[in-house]
Amino acid sequence: MRRFLQRHVSQIALSPSLALIAIFLYGFIAYTAAVSTTNSKAFPRFDNFVGLEQYWRLFHTPRWHVAFTNMFLFGGLFLLVTISLGLVIAILIDQRIRAESFFRSIVMYPMAMSFVVTGIIWQWLLNPTLGIEVMVHQLGFTSFRLDWLTNPDTVIWALVVAAFWQGCGLVMALFLAGLRGIDEDIWKAAAVDGIPAWRVYVFIVIPMLAPVFLTVVVLLSLSIVRAFDLVVALTNGGPGVSSDLPSVFMFDMAFRRTNLGLSAASAVVMLCTVLAILIPYLYAETRERA
Amino acid sequence: MIDIRISNCNKNYGSLRVLKDINLEIERGEFIVLLGPSGCGKSTLLHIVAGLDRLSSGAIEIGGRDVTDVEPKDRDIAMVFQSYALYPTMSVRSNMEFGLRMRGKPMAEIRPLVEEKARMLHIDHLLDRRPSQLSGGQRQRVAIGRALVRDPKVFLFDEPLSNLDAKLRASMRTEIKKLHQSLGTTAIYVTHDQLEAMTLATRMVVMKAGEIQQVGKPEEVYHRPVNLFVADFLGNPGMNFMKGHLRVDGNRVSADVGAATIPLDGYAFETAPANGQAVVVGLRPESIQPVTGSEAFVLTLKPTLIEHTGSDNLVVLAMGGEEIVGKFPTDMLPKLGEPVTVGFDLGRLSVFDAQTERRI
Repeated sequence: MRRFLQRHVSQIALSPSLALIAIFLYGFIAYTAAVSTTNSKAFPRFDNFVGLEQYWRLFHTPRWHVAFTNMFLFGGLFLLVTISLGLVIAILIDQRIRAESFFRSIVMYPMAMSFVVTGIIWQWLLNPTLGIEVMVHQLGFTSFRLDWLTNPDTVIWALVVAAFWQGCGLVMALFLAGLRGIDEDIWKAAAVDGIPAWRVYVFIVIPMLAPVFLTVVVLLSLSIVRAFDLVVALTNGGPGVSSDLPSVFMFDMAFRRTNLGLSAASAVVMLCTVLAILIPYLYAETRERA
Repeated sequence: MIDIRISNCNKNYGSLRVLKDINLEIERGEFIVLLGPSGCGKSTLLHIVAGLDRLSSGAIEIGGRDVTDVEPKDRDIAMVFQSYALYPTMSVRSNMEFGLRMRGKPMAEIRPLVEEKARMLHIDHLLDRRPSQLSGGQRQRVAIGRALVRDPKVFLFDEPLSNLDAKLRASMRTEIKKLHQSLGTTAIYVTHDQLEAMTLATRMVVMKAGEIQQVGKPEEVYHRPVNLFVADFLGNPGMNFMKGHLRVDGNRVSADVGAATIPLDGYAFETAPANGQAVVVGLRPESIQPVTGSEAFVLTLKPTLIEHTGSDNLVVLAMGGEEIVGKFPTDMLPKLGEPVTVGFDLGRLSVFDAQTERRI
């Protein structure tokens, strides 16, 4: 008995969580996939198999197209803005500045907030009747307009700005850690070689940060696919459905429109999108270690 | 012709004085080794010559030009680092080319230059590899190659061999020496390894706590250390120290070290000896040998421990209450506890004042 325990203690310790994950994660993924092949309305029913009809409907729903396109539009802009500005901020903080921890905290603070709070803050700031626009008007610039929230063409920028505000701290912290990990001697060698600082960054330091870029892209990509609370708090998908994201669409279909089958189909499509991002990353990671 | 002149150089970090009034003149073509324990300021001094650290006061001249406030890139120097500091995302070739490209040299000139230096360092077959695909020794060669292509007025080496294993270190040491002999470029080399210092230096500078202790040819520093610190720092196993008092009797001077009285008639005193002066008499292990017959001064001592090093035997001998170490040839193996007669090479003695710790 003792020997059995010694040999299998790790398996025994892990088995409860493995069981929970098997049921509540993979089990429900399978359950969702099963629901997506039925004609379920308010409650899941399995007596009404319709095959891939829900997927056909999904891809013929204009609102889904808006949501799915928005995910890539919002995602692309968010990645671009957050990575480039996060990197620039990390580089600025890395210049052995005074009160470094003060600036670091400022950039990191929004991270401590929930997306709902972030959404509400930016909703107020961007509200044309009480936010930044009013403030600038009071300063005398009455022609100033900031109608991101009410203009379907620019509402996506409101999401990007709020998400950037929240995500920048994490990205900055990751890049800063990467920059701090670079051997001081590289900088000295570059100084002796006479390479200007910006060229050292462009040709030497930033290429050295490639693994950090990969991590950042994966983390941000997952948060893009998951983005739900931010949209609900900031725009609630509006105006109209112009700032809809797949997660909002899914929630709406499941709990407001009592169309569980369609909602499940959209969830499966989202899962596939996540896997499409994650699998190459995991592949690269495991190959690096091998 | 003086190539580098360091005058009254001070470096403080807050109230901490890292370098205290350093003065050093280096002739063209010299290979200067800065040697000292960690924290003695040798790397700081090198960084100051390179321009990577600013000095708090004083001046640096390179090639007759005051470079105290000149950027590293404009000092006409090249530097090799302990961690190699290669650019990891570039190939070996790009690593060697990059500095020259930044200086606006045309590619047509860079290419053959890089290839020539690569052949010289036997890394020409590695030019298209990344640094991560190279061994430690190869990386250090690339780092040296990157410095060579610049054809600088001065080479600076910051403990370049410390990360290599013992065998590789020895062969790289020989190569650096050959390289210096064929190029004749002035070099400053920082190390804490005395063997590197002894073999490479044309002159060595021993430092301690931000001060220069002694400057001189390696054999001069080894055989005539100016103080107890230098005497103790150099040599492995370390110098034997015997505490005692001077006895001055007319023209005859001797040191009474308790167990024996060592005659100092042939010793070249730098300051006049005083009767009763407390001294430390130093003698290196290789100057304590089994008697062959011609020695002027012999003692019969009991071995208490024998260490075989392969090339010779280190014999610990009881002398009064203290122990001294002699270096015996392998064919002269004494028995433990059986007294042996050893001869002292009095021409190699160093005598230090016990208070000031300076050579007298």
